[in-house]
Amino acid sequence: MKTESRFDLPQGTLDLLIMRIVALGPIHGYAIAQRIQQMSREALQVQQGSLYPALHRLEYKKLLAAKWQPSETGREAKFYDLTAKGRAHLKAETENWERLTDVVDLILKGTLEGIG
Amino acid sequence: MSWLGRLFARKRQELDLDKELRFHFETQVADKLRSGIPESEARRLTRLEFGGMEQIKEDCRESRGTMWAESLAQDIRDGARQLRKSPGFSLIAIVSLTLGIGANTAIFTLLNAIMLRPLPVQNPGELVLFGDGKAHGSTLGVPDGSTRLFSDAFFHDFRQQDTLFSGIAAVDSSQFATKASIAGAAYQTTNIDLVSGSYFSVLGVPAFLGRTIEESDAGSDGSGPVAVASYSWFQRHFNGDPSALGKVIRIQSHDYTLVGVARPGFFGITVGQSTDLWIPLSMEKAFARPGANAIGQKLFQSLHLIGRLKPGVTTTQASAETNLLFKQILRGYLGPKPPQKHLDDLAHASIELTPGGRGISPLSFAFSLPLEILMAIVALVLVIACANIANMLLARGVARTREVAVRIALGASRRRIVFQLLTESAVLASIGAFAGVALAWEASGMLLRLATPGPRPVPLDLTPDLRVLGFTLGVTAITTILFGILPAFRAADLEFTPALKEGRGTSSASTRGVMARSLIVGQVALSVLLLVVAALFVRSLIHLSDVNAGFDKHNVLIFFLDSSTANLPHGPDEIRSVRLQEQIDSSVQNIPGVKSDSFAFFTFNGGAWSDQVLFQGVPRTPQNGDEVFFNIVDNGFFTTMGISLAAGRTFTAQDQQNSPKVAVINETMARRFFPNTSPIGHRFSIGEAPEHAGEIEVIGVVKDAKVLALDEGSQMAAYFPCTQSPGFFDNFAVRYVPGANKQEIISRVRHSIAEANPNILVNSISSLDEQVDRSVATQSLIAQLSSFFGILAVFLSCIGIYGLLSYSVARRTSELGIRLALGAQSRTLLWMILRESVILLAVGLAIGIPVALSSTRILKSLLFQLSPLDPAAIAIAICAVASMTVAAAWLPARRATRINPVQALRSE
Repeated sequence: MKTESRFDLPQGTLDLLIMRIVALGPIHGYAIAQRIQQMSREALQVQQGSLYPALHRLEYKKLLAAKWQPSETGREAKFYDLTAKGRAHLKAETENWERLTDVVDLILKGTLEGIG
Repeated sequence: MSWLGRLFARKRQELDLDKELRFHFETQVADKLRSGIPESEARRLTRLEFGGMEQIKEDCRESRGTMWAESLAQDIRDGARQLRKSPGFSLIAIVSLTLGIGANTAIFTLLNAIMLRPLPVQNPGELVLFGDGKAHGSTLGVPDGSTRLFSDAFFHDFRQQDTLFSGIAAVDSSQFATKASIAGAAYQTTNIDLVSGSYFSVLGVPAFLGRTIEESDAGSDGSGPVAVASYSWFQRHFNGDPSALGKVIRIQSHDYTLVGVARPGFFGITVGQSTDLWIPLSMEKAFARPGANAIGQKLFQSLHLIGRLKPGVTTTQASAETNLLFKQILRGYLGPKPPQKHLDDLAHASIELTPGGRGISPLSFAFSLPLEILMAIVALVLVIACANIANMLLARGVARTREVAVRIALGASRRRIVFQLLTESAVLASIGAFAGVALAWEASGMLLRLATPGPRPVPLDLTPDLRVLGFTLGVTAITTILFGILPAFRAADLEFTPALKEGRGTSSASTRGVMARSLIVGQVALSVLLLVVAALFVRSLIHLSDVNAGFDKHNVLIFFLDSSTANLPHGPDEIRSVRLQEQIDSSVQNIPGVKSDSFAFFTFNGGAWSDQVLFQGVPRTPQNGDEVFFNIVDNGFFTTMGISLAAGRTFTAQDQQNSPKVAVINETMARRFFPNTSPIGHRFSIGEAPEHAGEIEVIGVVKDAKVLALDEGSQMAAYFPCTQSPGFFDNFAVRYVPGANKQEIISRVRHSIAEANPNILVNSISSLDEQVDRSVATQSLIAQLSSFFGILAVFLSCIGIYGLLSYSVARRTSELGIRLALGAQSRTLLWMILRESVILLAVGLAIGIPVALSSTRILKSLLFQLSPLDPAAIAIAICAVASMTVAAAWLPARRATRINPVQALRSE
């Protein structure tokens, strides 16, 4: 495990990532971890210790729904899917995130007259 | 979801969680295998990457919000451990809660059984009672007020005309405790209700076995010799054997066939009575009782009526129709030309329809106010106990400051800490509640026996029902909040850094002091209130027992007889019963140790027969218009009772059936009719419009004697000789020489009675003092209970004061040591400590006395010849509270003066 490729996700970001992945279709926990790893080009490795509590929290808040069905290997796995409430939440949170990164970008990359 | 459902759901969640993580683990291992890593290595690596499986599970559980269940269990365990750690505190707290919650539950159990519980019938809410049920027996007069008893004729006529009731049931207002024999076996006392054919169908009580009484049973007089048994009687006598149906039961001198058993739990409509057998009203004539020959009369009113309203009909509508029909029907009974007086009476008569769903509860007429007052008293005692526990918890909270501070520093939230401390309180309250319910179960039965002494216990179901359990649960919850919430918030609301530094919390001690002191002031105020109430009841009871009853209650035995199975003659031959009495009289006279004896219709507190009387030539005045209490006695009565003669003579052997009718009257009656002259030789008759005016001559005047109760006012009374109102009278009084062998006398009297007629049974034997004690049983029970709870309240307050001062002396040990070392006198120190408690006492009294003065008014009707502001009672209460408080403060104050200065300074 390459420690240098890991960095701390800001609070709440993991939830957003998970919901984004789940939005693509019903998926089980292991695949979510894999998918995050692939999509971040190996930059993000989600630990089981963070992933599962997050999944259970989202399920408890009724943002995700879960059901048991056979996985690609034939074993029963718990598949998560986005609820209507979760879809709305994902949309709102994504917009929030984009606004926030834009603002942070503006400040980090901008210059202020007088500082130059 | 029920807690059980939640428990199963949780089990399932655990399995799912395990399965989910295992799937992840196995898939990860499988991936590694695919990339060529050998299996054992793949598993090792995966385990490493996973970290602690249990930790992940724990985090998942927490994020699902099921943690509360686990932490609650943890809190309960912690609470129990804390209680075990301080057994002294726990013991005091649990004992006071057990007493407090137990007393509340016990009183509420009685209140519930007597006043609240609905009858076990169908839709009790639809039932209405005609009248308020506050009368039983019979009356022959034209109704002239709120009517409570009704005649059989009225019942039938009303049923034919009413439109708003779906049915009306009638039951004789007197339950007959008489003798019955099953299939020729020995006679046993049996409680019998005479009911209409509609009784069971209107109440909606089905048969458990066989059938109930039906309309066809209650036809013409004497038809329908059938009986329906209550389930408990059926179990007692037949052990549930269905072959009981068809058995013949002999009651008095008639045979009845047992046709059915009523549903279990049904006891009739009178709370505090339990019926053994129900018999159709058509058999009424078979029952020997005063006035039994009058059954056919349209104004022989002896029934209670209970109706079921049609759906949607209001009581107001029913009341309008009922009163209209009532007047029409009764007007018809008075004939074409009734006296004007009867018409006037009828104009004033009415029927009040009252809710009938709870049945008739004679106990509630006597006990509802005392029970409500006792309920208030025990509630206040519980409040005092809560204040005490709150105070102890506050003190403990200070001692636990460090523990709480450490936990907050380690990341526990305030909410979590408050919750944990409240859980501890709830554990305490729950233990108290469990013990309290057990205590109440015993105590409520005992209270009932004390309040209603007698040979047979009042049949009242006191098993805790849902309402009682709900009440206890509510009380427990309120208790927890009362004593737990203040200390819990106090403990969690501290600045933890200084608390950690100091080790022992002194910063919060001063606010705790204010709270603790207010609690003690409140306790003192409530204690003095409760003691004033107790002192009032005790002084009222003393007044009551000092009353001159007018008879000598010592050395008199009373035998209660039952002649119903003796087949004694009725009608013109009735005088033979009097001869039988005379035979017993003279035989008992010869027993050594017996001074005199007498049969009587009534003895003290044993019922009454009353009516107005009219003297020839004396105009009616408000004073002489009251009812006169009558008694029928034999010649030895006045000597036996110790009622002394004031003028004239008492009855002698000359007063026979056919000689002129005579009476002895009491002084009150003499004074009201003849304020200035002697009544002897004057003639009167019974009733307002008597047929034979002036047929009874007054031959003597006796001193007043109480008739029904010690607290009754002056009553008019008249006595008639047995020979002129013949019958067999079931009360037999025997006066014996002081110091005589009572057991010997009792067995010889039994023998004399059996010799005269073996079928006359002795139901019970009592003494006149017992009858007097029994008549004030309620008052003495209230006095005892209120004293007990008053003293308990003061005692609890004293524990509070003792605790507070001990704590403050302990904290000020070094200060006191310095003072002593500098030469302070121990008397000064003593006063310094005592002063605090004296101030608390003074403030408490200043609040408690005005509250007591303004609230004791509600006791007025329960106090005998005593003002609710009785200064002696108030003085007693103040002295008791003051002396006990000072005594409680004295112990720690004394300890302060005994401090050794050297040790005190060293301990710093």
